[in-house]
Amino acid sequence: MRIPFEWLKEFINLDVTAKEAAHKLTMLGFEVEAAEIVDNDVVFDVNVTPNRADCLSLIGIARELSAAYRIPLHYPEHDILAESGELDFNVDILDTDLCHRYAGRVVRNLKIGASPDWLRERLEKCGIRSINNVVDITNYVLLEFGHPLHAFDISSIKGHIIRVGTPEDLAVHDIRIKTIDSVEREVPDTCLLIWDAEKPIAIAGIMGGLNTEVNDQTVDVFIESAYFDPVSVRRSSKSLGLKTESSYRFERGADIKALKKALDRAALLMKGIAGGAIYGKIDIYPKRLTQLEIEAKFANINRVLGIELTGEEIFDCLKGLGCEIDKLNDGLKIRPSTNRRDLQRESDIIEEVARHYGYDKIPAELPKATIGISLREDRVQHPVINIKNKLKGSLLKSGFSEVINYSFMGMEDIDLLGIQRDDKRRNALKIKNPLRIEDSYMRTSIIPSLIKNLQHNISHGNREFRLFEISKVFTAKTSLAYKLKTASSSDLLPIEKEHLAAIYYKEKAKSLYKEDAADFYVMKGVIEAIFRDFKIYEYSFMRSSESFLHPGQSADIFINGQNELKIGYIGALSPLIIEALNIKAHKPSVLVMELDIEKIIPFTERCVKYMPLPKYPYIERDTAVMVDISLDASSIITCLKSYPSDLIEESNIFDVYYGPNMPEGKKSVAFNVRYRAMDRTLKDEEIDEVHNSLVEYMLAKTNGVLRQ
Amino acid sequence: MTENLRQTFLSELKEVESREELTNLKIKYLGRKGIIATELKSLSRLPASERPSFGKIINEIKQFIEQDIEIKENSLKKEELNEQLKAESLDVTLRGKFIPFGSQHPINQTLAEIEHIFTKMGFTIEEGPEVELDYYNFEALNIPKDHPARDMQDTFYISEEVLLRTHTSPVQVRVMEKIRPPFRFIAPGKVYRCDADITHTPMFHQIEGLMVDKDISFSHLKGVLEAFLHRMFGAKTPVRFRPSFFPFTEPSAEVDIGCILCSSAGCRVCKGSGWLEILGAGMVNPRVFENVGYNTEEYSGFAFGMGIERIAMLKYSINDIRLFFENDIRFLKQF
Repeated sequence: MRIPFEWLKEFINLDVTAKEAAHKLTMLGFEVEAAEIVDNDVVFDVNVTPNRADCLSLIGIARELSAAYRIPLHYPEHDILAESGELDFNVDILDTDLCHRYAGRVVRNLKIGASPDWLRERLEKCGIRSINNVVDITNYVLLEFGHPLHAFDISSIKGHIIRVGTPEDLAVHDIRIKTIDSVEREVPDTCLLIWDAEKPIAIAGIMGGLNTEVNDQTVDVFIESAYFDPVSVRRSSKSLGLKTESSYRFERGADIKALKKALDRAALLMKGIAGGAIYGKIDIYPKRLTQLEIEAKFANINRVLGIELTGEEIFDCLKGLGCEIDKLNDGLKIRPSTNRRDLQRESDIIEEVARHYGYDKIPAELPKATIGISLREDRVQHPVINIKNKLKGSLLKSGFSEVINYSFMGMEDIDLLGIQRDDKRRNALKIKNPLRIEDSYMRTSIIPSLIKNLQHNISHGNREFRLFEISKVFTAKTSLAYKLKTASSSDLLPIEKEHLAAIYYKEKAKSLYKEDAADFYVMKGVIEAIFRDFKIYEYSFMRSSESFLHPGQSADIFINGQNELKIGYIGALSPLIIEALNIKAHKPSVLVMELDIEKIIPFTERCVKYMPLPKYPYIERDTAVMVDISLDASSIITCLKSYPSDLIEESNIFDVYYGPNMPEGKKSVAFNVRYRAMDRTLKDEEIDEVHNSLVEYMLAKTNGVLRQ
Repeated sequence: MTENLRQTFLSELKEVESREELTNLKIKYLGRKGIIATELKSLSRLPASERPSFGKIINEIKQFIEQDIEIKENSLKKEELNEQLKAESLDVTLRGKFIPFGSQHPINQTLAEIEHIFTKMGFTIEEGPEVELDYYNFEALNIPKDHPARDMQDTFYISEEVLLRTHTSPVQVRVMEKIRPPFRFIAPGKVYRCDADITHTPMFHQIEGLMVDKDISFSHLKGVLEAFLHRMFGAKTPVRFRPSFFPFTEPSAEVDIGCILCSSAGCRVCKGSGWLEILGAGMVNPRVFENVGYNTEEYSGFAFGMGIERIAMLKYSINDIRLFFENDIRFLKQF
């Protein structure tokens, strides 16, 4: 809200500079976000928090300063001493739930014209455009008291009656009203309207109707000063998409008691400025506000704030706020003024004491805390936090940089990957109000985001990079659950899972040192290093059928040997996707992987048990065999491991060759076996025998031939 | 005679250029049939009285030759090694072969730094769902439907009851439903708001903090947050607390630090005020305690929350929040 300093000083005798006052307001909780110099005056832009509707006005702000500086607050003139005649108007409140009080006054024989300069300038400083003297006065009083008023041209009101109700109350439907901004609006049946004998003439608390607008020909006006239910105004304002100075104040709560003052103040100003005659008043107040009484104990105030104030000091903090306060022995009994509906219980009073004592005067102290949380049995901290940190460390050391992407995706991202119709990655959560159509779903995989990072980086000339992200992915439980009223609340929420995904991009480029491994194995090595870090030794890689991966260069990853648990996949991005992404010209090699972190967790909690170091030396034997080209490495290793001898410590493949000098469909595989006994030094002759037997066993199982 | 032998040996030694020649020379003089051996054999032909003195002379020459050959041998070995080392020499200025370590995202670096400070103060780390029920995100935090405070946050909705959490505060309620005081924890995570421009992204990060025990006061809130801010931004950074409004805290505070860019002199970033808003905080509103069934007479606590992007932007002088989510490797590598 904009507050001109010169106007503010009309209500309090401030002997501080604008800068000091701005600082004071900020420290009272009314942050002065900017101070603009306008015509020798300073206009504050004050951020009024939603709980303080009472301060959406000059007087409200002045009251805070009067309480803070302990100086008196002066109200502008608002007492009407004489009326020129009776009121010939009736008001009928049809909906007392939505309209708690309705007052009005008639002013006749007005001369509509331009406002005097001082009035116009003040409105403009506050960001309100001048219309004519009568309308300007209603706005002026709105700024002064914070209470919205509306002036109707009496000549257009039929039947000398004002009715307050919703279309529902009047049993009518499809109501339209053209508001003073010349927009015809369709009004919901539950929206509170002001009607004359025939038609709607205003949307209550939001905007007046064009049909009763005060214009150059207006002579007599009816000024409305009412209290409308905040929730109702807010709902109507939202459904109409119409926010005004008036609705903004009503939905935060107007002052039901002060509305009379604002009404009379406006009438007096009209008389003074537009030469009108003030007639009688009507005031219907069907829903009285119940006066709240709050007890605040001194001990509680001091305990919560961590200070030691006397009862008198506490009273001094509160006395300027316009509340009625009774002193008790151990506390205060407070009846908040009607404009302070935010004051409802002791904690609200504690905040008032803190504000007017000064947050800066409360000492900063470290708590003497009980140690306990880390010893708790029922700790809520999920081990996934530790796993994530460990994974991050491994990937950073493997040369992958961390990225963070929005959790959104579009269905076209899933289409691009060729994900099958029944795949759960299609079971994505849809956002009702996305910012962009491409971001209308919560992502079910991190890969689409990494592909976008890939495109961005390539288009910015980056030629080699490794990226990873650890984030949640979201899958809906069932698409139906959201529609069912009966679903339990936790069923409404999706399954959130922590995933790790990475991408490795490299263009064919000259390099100083030769790479010796295919990129697939570089990426696979990263995963194996991670497994090693977690002491997971039983895992396997099996050909993957993921639609977006190169069928010959991709694998699904399983933990626990028996192909039981797929935890993710790795592979080169399919050439079809590379083509679709328009990056083919870069001859790129793009490797991706994605792991479900939560599936790894059960395998990470192994307790390490020390193994004694061997005391006796080992003996190694190397052998090359020729086997079918389709026989994969893991089968050979499995075969070697299955040989029944407890002398075999380790076996490794160290060379694979196919091509010239090899028969078609065959390859040469060289492996190394290390033998060791725990209780003695082995003899060469003994191992020759074991090894020969192992090779024979292996050749028989694999249909292989020994190479010399 | 002995002097002749010595001179001949020395001149022959001088000619030696390789270890092979040296070995030959060694055999010639010191071998079993070598010159020295021959001389020693001739000893027997001398009269017994001359033998000791002549024997002594021969032994002296032998020692002399042995010594010189060893010296020569060592110097030849050294030369050979030098040749080898020269041949193996590399250009040490050529770059090494390595995969540079990756960079941690600046947001997560900032997050880790904040987490570190709070965990040192005994706070644990909690997490909660990012897709939340309206109840946890708003209602349990004293933000009923149709309350103007909902305007403070533009919400992405999945359905009437389900939304993307707009802050990390729902974790407060979820944790309190599970455990009883005393406790203190922080809850970092992603939050979502329907907003996008140079200072807003539809997703960003927050850290929430909550400490509940008997007799926790506003003074403690100030103490803990001041300690944190001094650790984070330097022990001399001015810190100020001013009243604010959050429906789930009462009293509420906004916490500012003296602008770290202009040392509180006033600049574009702090809009001339000399202060930077860094976090929101307050004493837990008793209504929130009531929603989770805590006795408000027995327990009190404070809560706080801060945006990580803002802190990271200040820390690294980043002026466009969107850079964090473009994930350009040239940007990431700087951290």
